[in-house]
Amino acid sequence: MSFIPGIPVPIGGIEKALGKLWEESGESKTRASLINLAIYNEKPGSLERNTEITRSIAGEHAMRAILIEADLKAEGSSAEAWITMHCYLRGSKGGSVCSEQICFQLAGMAAHSLQSVVFSHLDSDLPLVLWWQADFHLPVNAKLWRWVDRLLFDSRHWKNPKEQFGLIRQIAGLAEARTVLCDLNWARSLPARQALAAIFDIPGNLSELQLLRRLEIDYAHGSRTTALLLLGWLADRLGWSLSNPSANPEFRDAHGNIVCVELKEAEGSSISRMKLASENAEFHLLRESGSDLYVTTAQGRNIAASSRMVCAPREETREILLAELSRGGRHPLYTKAVNAVEELWA
Amino acid sequence: MPSPLVNPLREGITNRLTPEPCTLVIFGATGDLTHRKLIPALYNLAAEGALPPALTIIGFARREKTSEQFRKELEESTRKFSRTPLNDELWAQFASSIIYHQSPFDQGEGYTTLATQMDAADQNRGTGSNRLYYLAVAPDQFPVILSHLRESGLSTTTPGSWARVIVEKPFGKDLKSAQHLNTLVSEVFPECDTYRIDHYLGKETAQNIMVMRFANSIFESLWDSNHISHVQITAVEPLGVEGRAGYYDTSGAMRDMIQNHLLQLLTLTAMEPPTSLSADAIRDEKVKVLRSLRPLRGDDVFKHVVRAQYTAGLIDGQPVPGYREAEGVPKDSTTETFVALQVNIDNWRWAGVPFFIRTAKRMPKGGTEIAITFKSVPPVLFNSSGEGLDENVLVIRIQPDEGISLRMSAKMPGSSLRIEPVKMDFHYGTSFGKATPEAYERLLLDAMSGDATLFARRDEVEEAWAFVDGIEEAWKTRCDDLAFHTAGSWGPAQAADLAARHGVTWRRM
Repeated sequence: MSFIPGIPVPIGGIEKALGKLWEESGESKTRASLINLAIYNEKPGSLERNTEITRSIAGEHAMRAILIEADLKAEGSSAEAWITMHCYLRGSKGGSVCSEQICFQLAGMAAHSLQSVVFSHLDSDLPLVLWWQADFHLPVNAKLWRWVDRLLFDSRHWKNPKEQFGLIRQIAGLAEARTVLCDLNWARSLPARQALAAIFDIPGNLSELQLLRRLEIDYAHGSRTTALLLLGWLADRLGWSLSNPSANPEFRDAHGNIVCVELKEAEGSSISRMKLASENAEFHLLRESGSDLYVTTAQGRNIAASSRMVCAPREETREILLAELSRGGRHPLYTKAVNAVEELWA
Repeated sequence: MPSPLVNPLREGITNRLTPEPCTLVIFGATGDLTHRKLIPALYNLAAEGALPPALTIIGFARREKTSEQFRKELEESTRKFSRTPLNDELWAQFASSIIYHQSPFDQGEGYTTLATQMDAADQNRGTGSNRLYYLAVAPDQFPVILSHLRESGLSTTTPGSWARVIVEKPFGKDLKSAQHLNTLVSEVFPECDTYRIDHYLGKETAQNIMVMRFANSIFESLWDSNHISHVQITAVEPLGVEGRAGYYDTSGAMRDMIQNHLLQLLTLTAMEPPTSLSADAIRDEKVKVLRSLRPLRGDDVFKHVVRAQYTAGLIDGQPVPGYREAEGVPKDSTTETFVALQVNIDNWRWAGVPFFIRTAKRMPKGGTEIAITFKSVPPVLFNSSGEGLDENVLVIRIQPDEGISLRMSAKMPGSSLRIEPVKMDFHYGTSFGKATPEAYERLLLDAMSGDATLFARRDEVEEAWAFVDGIEEAWKTRCDDLAFHTAGSWGPAQAADLAARHGVTWRRM
């Protein structure tokens, strides 16, 4: 491994080594932590990639970062650990604020024992946010998930969304489960949802919302699940039910009218264009390639033409992760959105 | 199935009330407040997508200029004062909603044409006949603006729409003028549509006082005279009057800071738990605190209040002139630039707990904080030596370096028993690295959403004035109590004596 994720330490001596690290760093450094952020990955090289991410967010979201690279198929059992700090200058007094990081490389049996090997190094009393960067496996490990306050994952990377959403449901349904499900793909769709919602804050536009007959969504390569989540959200919010689960599906609205949907892959951001049309009006949402803005327009009979811009954060992992960590709270509509398009996940 | 009147796409997007489409008219649009605070705040809200769609902003002012010129000036000032960098494309879109309306405040025709512009905005931009008037002008302009708004019908609403007014401080200069002002406003706008802005209430840390008290079980159970020895509320700054001499010399520290900002902080600190988080439930409790303040009148004022003025001295090692030497200040001015007072809240919770309030200009450093000092432990065990242990102090820092700290006693490592104070410190900036929104962002959004929680109600303002008036009246009877202190010092000896009478020393900031 060419990347060195910090100072190598024996797993039994992590806390002591962290204490020593602080002692040696002098008084100019302040330890800060709001959460335990554990990131789990099963691919080689993930420690380096994830260190880049934690380093980039530590300045805005203080934490104890715990990075785990697991090799489940390895024979035997091995566990190695490294510690480091991510420090940022803060304020005019020249002091810096630091977040601790512990990296684990686990193989074989040790990789199957996350609770004992890793979670004994949590900063007590702070919430545990676990970012699961691998597929979820059967059987669901109830003991593991009950530790987790917020479970982050990204459904965009799933090869088998139907199976994975099924496992997510099982995790969420565990007895005494308090885990908040946070799909980064859902967070990715937030700027588009915000921009769409804003269109219909205008009373004249709002009355058209229940009369929509056509919906078009352009999504980037690999972002079909993002588009489906958006579609599921709209379907749930507007009381549509899926009547024709095809590649370009059809829904029935609350009055039985057909709503046609066209999903199309296109260049650009994950969601680059949407069109919502009723018989009287059209509403557009557009994000030019490379732009940090969504532009929405409304036009039609009996409504005032309007146009608006809304900032859309860059779709980098760092931005999406920070947005999700800052937002907090539960996502009650997420599960409904997933369920509304359940037959389309295959 | 969601109600057709409610935007079903809004649910889950934000956890706050949604601001409604409206026209915002800023009176005094060429002034400092508009350039430094209001437009940058609105721009940041626009960037976040938090503004209502179809918001139209009309700047109403006397100076001749075109909308284009006005927008250009605003762009420059927003580039300078915005907390986030200006995005040219976004600014262009935002600026397209800004119109300049030139008119003297006292000419009816200006309001007639304003009405035409607003009607056009309703037609073309879908602002739904909702109006928000921001009086960013000196209070002497309020009457003429308000009466014209009424006469031209701009304060009346059609069914389903609203008209609100935001009034900047100062809300009067005494109880009588405040009542007069409130009466003027109430003749045009009902109380529920009147938003008196006190930007201290829009600060994150001021909002956090209630969260800290009522979202944590450990504090509220200790929050009374059984456990608290005294409370100090301090707002000091190293600055002098800096171009505000004309206003400041007629106001003074008591009216400029204590009547509004510091009494607001006092109410948030001392209030009972509200029955709900509604605006009126919270403000009901705040008013009760003001009503429980033991009045200070006559000789009591000179026992419980110290006023002073700074003389020439050094700030950060640099010489600064005294207050009377500042441009625009009369050479014989008796206006106070320093006030320290001790107040009592005569209610069940706070009986016997002195509250110390202090505000001053030209202090060695600046800051606003609330310090709650708890009672000492009994004089046994570790506190039996007679030297006395330091009390626990909970400090809520409002600005700068917003945060909360708790001082407590701990054993120093070693074979002997030595107890020293240690501090647990929470810094907003350290834990939450991102920039917090400006107070005006929150307050403008609240006014557009119809949430008056962070605005002062009429009775709050008047109760605060009633308390302050007693002090001001006593001060008029003599001026030999005016003390002097050197700029860059922590105030006159009389202030230290005031605290010492209660066995208290003012906190070092």
